[in-house]
Amino acid sequence: MPEGAKTSANGGGFRFKVRGPRDFYGGLALIGLAILAIWASGDLPGTHGFAFGPGTAPRLFAGLLAVVGAMVALGGLLFDGPRLDSYAVRGPCWVILAILAFAGMIRGFNLGFVRVPALGLVPSTFAAFMISIIGSTEMRWLESLIAAVVMTAFCVVLFVYLLGLPFQLWPWY
Amino acid sequence: MSELLANLALGFSVAAHPYNIGFCLLGALVGTLVGVLPGIGTVATVAMLLPITFGLPPVGALIMLAGIYYGAQYGGSTTSVLVNIPGEATSVVTCLDGHQMARQGRAGAALSIAAIGSFFAGCVSTVLVAALGVPLTSIALLFGPAEYFSLMVLGLIFAVVLAKGSVLKAIAMIVTGLLLSMVGSDLETGAGRMTFDIAELSDGIGFTNVAMGVFGFAEIIRNLEMSQESRDIVKAKIKGLMPTRQDLIDSSGAIARGTVLGSLLGILPGGGAVVASFAAYTFEKRISKHPERFGRGAIEGVAAPESANNAAAQTSFIPLLTLGIPPNAVMALMVGAMTIHGIVPGPQVMTKQPELFWGMIASMWLGNLMLVIINLPLVGVWVTLLRVPYRLLYPSIIVFCCIGVYSINNSPTDVVIAAIFGLVGYWLVKHDFEPAPLVLAFVLGPLMEENLRRAMLIARGDATVFATRPISAGLLAVALSLLVLAALPMIRKRRDEVFVE
Repeated sequence: MPEGAKTSANGGGFRFKVRGPRDFYGGLALIGLAILAIWASGDLPGTHGFAFGPGTAPRLFAGLLAVVGAMVALGGLLFDGPRLDSYAVRGPCWVILAILAFAGMIRGFNLGFVRVPALGLVPSTFAAFMISIIGSTEMRWLESLIAAVVMTAFCVVLFVYLLGLPFQLWPWY
Repeated sequence: MSELLANLALGFSVAAHPYNIGFCLLGALVGTLVGVLPGIGTVATVAMLLPITFGLPPVGALIMLAGIYYGAQYGGSTTSVLVNIPGEATSVVTCLDGHQMARQGRAGAALSIAAIGSFFAGCVSTVLVAALGVPLTSIALLFGPAEYFSLMVLGLIFAVVLAKGSVLKAIAMIVTGLLLSMVGSDLETGAGRMTFDIAELSDGIGFTNVAMGVFGFAEIIRNLEMSQESRDIVKAKIKGLMPTRQDLIDSSGAIARGTVLGSLLGILPGGGAVVASFAAYTFEKRISKHPERFGRGAIEGVAAPESANNAAAQTSFIPLLTLGIPPNAVMALMVGAMTIHGIVPGPQVMTKQPELFWGMIASMWLGNLMLVIINLPLVGVWVTLLRVPYRLLYPSIIVFCCIGVYSINNSPTDVVIAAIFGLVGYWLVKHDFEPAPLVLAFVLGPLMEENLRRAMLIARGDATVFATRPISAGLLAVALSLLVLAALPMIRKRRDEVFVE
């Protein structure tokens, strides 16, 4: 929630500042999570006689989270706190993309509109390494390529040959 | 007493088996490596290496994982002293005085005092684990569901009190963790809860995925954000590894106090090695006759936190082995490792598998001995490793984490969940939410709910059972008073001071 730290209240027609935006938006997000949880567990049966139903505890804790989240947000509204920190884009994007690439390639997936066959450990590891390395501003191509090859080889030797974990290595094997 | 000795003898006979010595050594070395390298923590490493232990015998697997945990406490000090970057969260305070000593040409003394302090703490806490094991196990047998529930409440309150920053936000993290732990099938009815009809979520969100995301991936994303300042490695040859007689005299008190404080904080759920090292440093500074020396190379400032973190790392096994309650995230992963090998953590481990229980304890002592013997001569090797640039290190960590998460269940979905929690962890840090209480609550959540439901059922729906049973009432009273103390503004101010230093 990087939007402006200001919000306006319509009640008396006066504007006031969110004093601690970190807490305020953090608290709001927790309230959102609580509402999501209450909605998601709404269809579960609750307490039955003396016994808790499957829905009792989730709703109990979701309700509690909503209350605590509201308190955190209220604190952010009333008391001075640090400003919102800026979010980096490059690092998180490439790191997450690398992890997702690994997850998608190792066994393949089928989402209907895209299909990726199982590519195996070697291509997945190599791709994840190369994608994640773009996340740093200091990357150098040749050095990265060599490191990726070495790391892939190391992982194959360690996990497949030494530890004997059942991995498909290549797309065709 | 003789029983204790007999038990320890059994333990050493198990631990001294060549295979187990090998696992212990391997764990200690990997732990040191992880401790030395900044940017990769103990939790992520243990999670990464869980699949490696699948094929091992249970005793060997647990000995190795334990070795990683306390090995990391040793390794962390090396980086703190030589490079002024804490290799591990537990060695943050060691930087303050350790690096100053190194600049004054006393790196050798700082390293050896850290090692000696850690070893002393390791010995004492190993004996403590052995001595407290039997009595605590018999207490555990008096515990019913109500008492277990109250004990876990107390543990979570400890996590709140010991977390840095706002008490309210720590509570928010606890509740979030509890809520997240309820995703998946209901324990009794098997009904899918908050699964959004995603088949992969019907087993719940795996703890390893959460831990790897929040402690592994989020950490990397955060590190990438900071500018990679060149590491200021102490170039001078490290000479005089042996501390002088004066060093030993100066630090002996600090080592003893650090050990006691660390042992106590380690046993408490929600405590652990990080808090122990901070507390020991602050305590040492407060009682010192010359507090102005701290931060300028006071040897007590190295001895106390290093002893404390090692003591805490060891004693945190006590609640796990006797009550079956993991007091921190690393111990929660140990639960995972035990479960994989068909061992249910709890009081029955000691009676049903004495060779495992005592073997692990004995191996802790052996591991500490090995660490002292191996590490001081290997300091040069560890320093060389630090020259590996982070831009090559972090992709390797990511790849390792991916393979680790994937191979636990051979499930790509687990990897995706870990990635999501990486982003969640990044967001939490940006909003000053502490991830540690969340993860602890996530671990304790299912246990808490199970005991809560059972207690309520036995009491025929009467919630006052938690206040009428004496042990449970006592535990809750302690929890409540801790919470009140932590929330009082005066004490809160002081608490912030502790963490600012």
